[in-house]
Amino acid sequence: MAPALVALKDLTVAFGDLHAVEGVSLEVGQGDIYAIVGESGCGKSTLAYSLLDLIPPPGRIIGGEVRVEGRSVVEMSRAELQRLRGPRVGMVFQAAMNSFNPVVTIGAQVGHMLEAHPEVFPGAGEGRAYFRQLLEMVRLPPDRVLRSFEHQLSGGMRQRVAIAFALLLRPSILVLDEPTTALDVLNQRLVLEALRELHATLGVTIIFVTHDLAVVAELAERVAVMYAGRLVESGTVDEIFARGRRHPYVAALISAIPSVLQPGLRVGPIAGQVPDLAELPPGCRFAPRCRLARAICREVEPPLIADGTGHSVACHVANEKAGLTPSGRAVR
Amino acid sequence: MTLLEVDGVSHWYDTTDGDRPVLDGVSIEVDTGGILAIVGESGCGKTTLGSLVIRENRPSEGEVRFDGRDIWSLRGNDFKSYRRAVQVVHQDPYASLNPGLTIEDTLGPAILYHGLARRRDLQTELIRLLQSVGLDATHRFLRRYPHQLSGGQRQRVAIARAMSLRPRLVVADEPTSMLDVSMRLAILDLLLSFQREHELAFLFISHDFGVVRYFTQGGRIAVMFYGVIVEEGPTEEVIHHPRHPYTYLLLQAIPIPDPPLARRRRRGAVAEAVDGQPAATGCIFANRCPFVQPECRVARPPLVEAGRDHRTACLFPERVPDLTEILEGEAG
Repeated sequence: MAPALVALKDLTVAFGDLHAVEGVSLEVGQGDIYAIVGESGCGKSTLAYSLLDLIPPPGRIIGGEVRVEGRSVVEMSRAELQRLRGPRVGMVFQAAMNSFNPVVTIGAQVGHMLEAHPEVFPGAGEGRAYFRQLLEMVRLPPDRVLRSFEHQLSGGMRQRVAIAFALLLRPSILVLDEPTTALDVLNQRLVLEALRELHATLGVTIIFVTHDLAVVAELAERVAVMYAGRLVESGTVDEIFARGRRHPYVAALISAIPSVLQPGLRVGPIAGQVPDLAELPPGCRFAPRCRLARAICREVEPPLIADGTGHSVACHVANEKAGLTPSGRAVR
Repeated sequence: MTLLEVDGVSHWYDTTDGDRPVLDGVSIEVDTGGILAIVGESGCGKTTLGSLVIRENRPSEGEVRFDGRDIWSLRGNDFKSYRRAVQVVHQDPYASLNPGLTIEDTLGPAILYHGLARRRDLQTELIRLLQSVGLDATHRFLRRYPHQLSGGQRQRVAIARAMSLRPRLVVADEPTSMLDVSMRLAILDLLLSFQREHELAFLFISHDFGVVRYFTQGGRIAVMFYGVIVEEGPTEEVIHHPRHPYTYLLLQAIPIPDPPLARRRRRGAVAEAVDGQPAATGCIFANRCPFVQPECRVARPPLVEAGRDHRTACLFPERVPDLTEILEGEAG
């Protein structure tokens, strides 16, 4: 098996005494479309920022490691980080549609980016020509976009410009934080189609963070679900949505989506609230909201157990029902 | 009984570019205790429509009537009772609460002004009110500031503010779009409980058909495109048998939380149909319409009956596929 393009091993990120991310391990392969899913405050954005060593202070990595293309991000020098951010990993931040400089045209901002990284496009005009191609791939008119200020473009257009901008320096990895949130359904659909097109044409590996499982079903190939800083389930998108072994939190998230096209789907809210990281319950962090919780769930934190295909679930009840023990083997 | 009538309303802002109004000849009605959802993409004018109903803006043309009376003709006690009877829940609970006011100072003054509680009973009344919106309220909670609350808690406070005056109509403008998916249903259920218990009417504004369908069971939907109502009818009727191509495109764009189904639907070419500008003559939707005919370019089609209690502004409503065909047609 080829080494993973991105590998997190036992990553723990602390903000003071609080662990926003705790003991998370995951691997993203070359060419994957990988979704990191969870509610506000579950640590999913922190996880994404850790890939670029961009965790906002006072947050810091206090355990484990982050490797991108085999190299530890924490050990990189300032110069190495500069070559990582942009040329190797492109980032589209949350609400990226508001992240352009409002008093400079998009074209000028492209110029600034190319000046800061002259090594990427040696020939004159190459970088700008490449940006035009990217804009066409995300179905935007290059001439109009390049001479526009951000306020002259709609929110949905700006989001697609931000994606093209993040790909300008030809990174092999594109990280997006909530790429479709705050967009209406039509613009959501355009962003999803643009990302799929870029993935097919450029072969770029996509890692995106979202709270919306419907968007995950539409775009992702592999999925990691976070809850209160912990990874609770990971696997292929089909495994996550299948009705077999899965984490009760994931099942609850799926049934909380008011779906218009599948009226048969039972819909109901998830009882209770995400726990405060300062007052985590003992045992499984989801136990207070879980309808399947037993005594052991309130005492022992469940381990993440993988089956033969790599589908991992951290739930005592689901794993016992499937006959899976912490060693990962089925018991008879 | 008709509670709210928006009658032939058109609206231009002072800064509106060109000749096209933000709202163009909009007429809607909401009955006592009824629910009408306004659905459409960002910038279609749905928030402007809400602002005319709450008297934040005066329509350039046409009339908004509440209880049969033009809301701009109301004076004295009539005006005061209109102000009390019509309340609003905004989209962004981070922006809609004054950061410098405690919860008590956010909610108290209006209750005292309208004489719904005596000053010495106010705290007890506020705690009862906050409990009725699902907040675990104490005297200490009343002294908190918005920044000390989560997004879901803030939206519950905003709902408490709207409900505190026992209104008869609430304009809810995307009340769940800034919230986590897991929280949305709980907030919708809360709003619905007020609707049932107090014969409260809703003008519910959203771009999300899934949320709209959940909220308006038994209610009605009006679909708006660039300031024009293009389709209107009972919720289930409009969703199952859309009779305007724009409604069809909106339904087709919805992300589906079902990976195999989402993969089958990927061949749909929604993107081409999303970017077109509104047509200056004839049907406003003609530039984006997959079924457009030469006749559509001649004159703006009026809103006419296209089924029981169901109206569309399309000359060829029979060409628009049903919901089941939207799914199966692409799957085949």
